[in-house]
Amino acid sequence: MSDVPAQVPPDEDHDVPSGNVPGTHDGVRGARPPLQSDGASRRSQQPFVGLLEHVAATSLDEDYAHVAQLRAASGERAQERADGSRPGRPGLTALVALAVFGVLVATAGLQTRRDADQSARSRESLIKQADAGKAELGRRRDEAASLSRQIRTEQTRALAETARGQSEQAKLDRLGLAAGAVRTTGPGIAVRVDDARDATSGTQQVQAPDLQKLVNALWLIGAEAISINDYRVTSLTAIRDAAGAVTVNYRSLTRPYVVRAVGDPDTMAARLIDTSGYQTLLTLESSFGLRLDIERKDSMVLPAATLTLRHARAAPATGADK
Amino acid sequence: MIAALGLIVGVVLGLLLQPTVPNWLDPYLPIAVVAALDAVFGALRAFLDGIFDDKVFVVSFVSNVLIAALIVYLGDKLGVGGQLSTGVIVVLGIRIFSNVAAIRRHLFHA
Repeated sequence: MSDVPAQVPPDEDHDVPSGNVPGTHDGVRGARPPLQSDGASRRSQQPFVGLLEHVAATSLDEDYAHVAQLRAASGERAQERADGSRPGRPGLTALVALAVFGVLVATAGLQTRRDADQSARSRESLIKQADAGKAELGRRRDEAASLSRQIRTEQTRALAETARGQSEQAKLDRLGLAAGAVRTTGPGIAVRVDDARDATSGTQQVQAPDLQKLVNALWLIGAEAISINDYRVTSLTAIRDAAGAVTVNYRSLTRPYVVRAVGDPDTMAARLIDTSGYQTLLTLESSFGLRLDIERKDSMVLPAATLTLRHARAAPATGADK
Repeated sequence: MIAALGLIVGVVLGLLLQPTVPNWLDPYLPIAVVAALDAVFGALRAFLDGIFDDKVFVVSFVSNVLIAALIVYLGDKLGVGGQLSTGVIVVLGIRIFSNVAAIRRHLFHA
């Protein structure tokens, strides 16, 4: 940038992004030499193309140039001002403003450091709380499991003491088995279903409807209890697709899917193959390469389902119900 | 000279007094600092250009800080505080860069 007389102002009228012809203003401005910065000289020759260019070109507050120009016009340049400050040099007010700036910077810096400390502290305390919560949850779960085991043993013992109790116990066993509320052991079959090798598309993968068909087919041939990957299937179970994964009771499973069914191991496999549901799966196996495998099991353990029964209750009668 | 003195006095004051920023002012402090920085660099460039003026500097300093804070405040109220802050920072950043470029040309004659 060349050294050019200081009183030359960038022309503020040229900010307007329109075809503006320089030199058409009053004589004072028109008589001045070219503007001092390259940005400023470009500015006087062409309208602004874009916002960013405009911002860059007007980066110096035009008031400086304006005031300098006014001063030059009134011939004040060389004189001392009334307050003792010389134009072009920073005076007392500038000192105060700069001091304020210094305070601002220092305060912002300190504040940021304080905030960083604080956020680190709050993060740590949050992590601690989460850990404590998790530990508490685990403890409560263990407690609940041991309590329900205790209830079951107590219940069995109490029921075993009377004849009526024994019949109730038998009924309870039968119902619990059907509802999936109790752990179940017995012989049966395990059907292993897996995606095609190097599956690339959804059709080559096992989807929820496939498992639904298989489970329904197993119920149809008289399975007494069914589980998928150690999740017990009950009359309340939902088998769904969610975000590319098969979910059972809203928990995502990973392949391969092993469906275990308790029943007569000698006849189940043969009867299963006859069902229309399994036939559909066989079609999928032959056309898309899904892998199916039925295995006879002499003894399996199916876990109990966590059942939450939702049932309707009579609402308490109020005056409004008439 | 006097400018550097003012700056040093300010920083020392800030560090010694450690003023606590009220919570409601907290989000506006950084943007105010950037706006002030823009005013200071503008003043430095004007000084090197020989057209520095006390009054213009103080006015541009105060108005820069207030307007920047006001824009962010309005943005916060309208739910676009983050975006408006970004916009303000971009504009001020470009100004600072081009002012610093002019200062550099002055100092190194390059």
